[in-house]
Amino acid sequence: MADKKNKYSSSKPYQSSLTRRGALKWLGAISTAAAFPALIGCQSSSKKLNTSKGHWPNLSLSPVSANGYGKDPNLIIAPKNVWPRILTTEQLTLVAVLADIIVPREGNVPSASEVKVPDVVDEWVSAPYSRQQADKEYILNILTWLDDESILRFNALFIDVSPAKQLMIVDDIAYNKADLSAEFAKPMLAFARIRRLVLAAFFCSPEGTKDIGYLGNVPIAGDYPGPTDEAIQHLNQVLDNLGLSL
Amino acid sequence: MATFDYQVIIVGSGAGGAMAAYTLTKQGYKVLMLEAGRDYNPKTETPMFKTNAQAPLMGSGNVDKDFGFYDATVDGGWTVPGEPYTTGEGSDFLWWRSRMLGGRTNHWGRYALRFSPHDFKGFTRDGLGADWPFEYEELAPWYDKTEELVGICGTNTGLDDMPDSAEGILQPPPKPRIPELLVSAAAKKLGIATAPMHRAVLTRPKDDRQACFYATPCGHGCSIGAAFQTTTSLIPMAKATGLLTVITNAMAKEVNVDEHGKVNAITYIDKMTKQSHSLEAKVIILAASACESARILLNSKSEHHPNGLANSSGHVGKNIMDSTGVGYGALIPALAGRPKYNEDGHTANHLFIPWWGHQLHKEKLLDFPRGYHFEIGSGFRAPGAGVSGNLDGYGQPLKNIAKQAYGSYVSLSLRGEMLPNEHCYMEIDQNVKDQWGIPVVKFHWQWSEHELKQVEHGLKTARRILETMGASFTKPLPKAEDAILKGGQIIHEVGSTRMGDSSKNSVTNQWGQTWDCKNVFVMDAGVFASNPHKNCTLTIMTLAMRNATWLASQLDKGAL
Repeated sequence: MADKKNKYSSSKPYQSSLTRRGALKWLGAISTAAAFPALIGCQSSSKKLNTSKGHWPNLSLSPVSANGYGKDPNLIIAPKNVWPRILTTEQLTLVAVLADIIVPREGNVPSASEVKVPDVVDEWVSAPYSRQQADKEYILNILTWLDDESILRFNALFIDVSPAKQLMIVDDIAYNKADLSAEFAKPMLAFARIRRLVLAAFFCSPEGTKDIGYLGNVPIAGDYPGPTDEAIQHLNQVLDNLGLSL
Repeated sequence: MATFDYQVIIVGSGAGGAMAAYTLTKQGYKVLMLEAGRDYNPKTETPMFKTNAQAPLMGSGNVDKDFGFYDATVDGGWTVPGEPYTTGEGSDFLWWRSRMLGGRTNHWGRYALRFSPHDFKGFTRDGLGADWPFEYEELAPWYDKTEELVGICGTNTGLDDMPDSAEGILQPPPKPRIPELLVSAAAKKLGIATAPMHRAVLTRPKDDRQACFYATPCGHGCSIGAAFQTTTSLIPMAKATGLLTVITNAMAKEVNVDEHGKVNAITYIDKMTKQSHSLEAKVIILAASACESARILLNSKSEHHPNGLANSSGHVGKNIMDSTGVGYGALIPALAGRPKYNEDGHTANHLFIPWWGHQLHKEKLLDFPRGYHFEIGSGFRAPGAGVSGNLDGYGQPLKNIAKQAYGSYVSLSLRGEMLPNEHCYMEIDQNVKDQWGIPVVKFHWQWSEHELKQVEHGLKTARRILETMGASFTKPLPKAEDAILKGGQIIHEVGSTRMGDSSKNSVTNQWGQTWDCKNVFVMDAGVFASNPHKNCTLTIMTLAMRNATWLASQLDKGAL
């Protein structure tokens, strides 16, 4: 079913950079929690398709009950994998496809999935803090919605339809426009959440930080040099245009 | 402690406590310091040169680390587990605490502006609030000494809201960045001056502290000692005298008195063993932070002090003031896609907008009584969780918009003076105790028209400045009562044990000595008679140096 141009699909899942040690740690946590299924994770309410017009999954998600990193974490060696990750391989693969639609490869600049943005999304939606839990609500619903919508339109999961078909769906939800059809209102808001997260995770990565042009975080001997000549020239032009002077 | 024959006990190791300890030990007095938090060493614990990608959740803040993963605050923030506070009905108040050696000096903004002559005489000027029991001229030489010791970068501007330091005291400030220069040009057109912010950041080496190397946000702490915190300066310097002993994890509970009502001891809880200990004390300095010191006094009730210690005036816990705060910002189209360079600098604003309306106040041309300043937020900052803002679309066009917008956002943060009012105070909540069995604080809070009108003026002014820079706005300005930040949120709470010239309407005299108990002093921001908008820490340290020097003279004379 999947187009062979697809980088990721059901048969070519995204490989998380989760370490074996981290995975084993969570396995332990999950088996303990298995005795209390209501306390952990976020299982989608059902696998039943929800493909009526204006559909929205409204997943019933249980709150993440894991602990955070606490009030005194080690700041020098930052804790990794503090809470169990909740995204399944299928969900991670869908996040990878979306991430690369949002931030595709551009010449030598890698795409979002190439710098492991899906892992950051997974860490984020799995975190036990209120902001992340609010995002999780949107993001898990939009992931399910994309599959529902894809099945409705193309009779296959989102990751298994061609890039062109994927974009047909994304085009409907990627813009907050005045004539937005009511059926896309919720998907549009939810897509905005994951877009913001993907952009941040990309630009935070070493490659993304370079791409955005951040030149700091290096020690300077002597006085702070201030703006470059080029930057000053640009400012002078701006001041002229605005009728301002220093 | 039997082996250490201390003369003074200090509660707290932040700005006030550490400066008092430094001053007293340098004069040969033996000091025992109690700190409620754990020991902390910035040289080994500061996350220097870390990126947000290396932190959980891209370094963003949450209930564990309110100001982000790398913020220096240990075991603190808006909530401290096991140590709640409560608020009265209809009151919103946030109380920031740091439970660590050095307290809040480990992460503070390092803004270090002097108060002006007119700031000490607010009541005389407009009949509101209270005057301080001395003139600026009394404090000026102490400001010089404190600035010299702490290390402040900035310039003498001659502006009426920025008193000059003595010649040679200030270190050179870093050059301004492009967006700050644009703010400066826009403000100038509106008749408003900008100036280099005074910050407690070394641009020249001092003692064994290095000069700033212009990387790593000061809020993370500073392993090289460039950004001032007591843990890399006053505390090690005081310890080097051999006359300071520090007990960490010691949560002060109450001050004890003898059968005549004279203070003779202090009780603290050892957090590790949960055991209560009493230490005999000849002189006690409370510097636990304004509201924590007031809490200790209010919790120290006895037959002779039925309303709490040093509270015959009834003013302990009253007169609490924070700074007003509001932020307003915009994308500046003319800055989009501007040439890149390293804008880290000393990681806070190099230029700011000092209060320009002192003359307008004199001429009664403003409908609010007290001033404010603007701090400028801008720059090519290290990408974090909020780097892109809310954008539409996807793919290369989206990425290009995000990259163009990077570094073109400018925000103006108002920090203003509030006046004390009868609705802003703290008391002891008799129904709630913390995990150490100590009754907790209950806060009451209500802004008055003075603050709301000031914030309204600030929002309008911020918008005019941003518009002059070419920003356009589609939405109306928010209402002041919606936009003003919560009480306590600027973390400048002061006034809970205010000083004055009468035991009837103040808690301490001008030396921070409580009127009721000659051997109890307060040396944190609790003693402030007013809360000028210029950030409290420099004045806390200046008062602590001056008043600890006076205390030493009293000990010399045998007066205590």
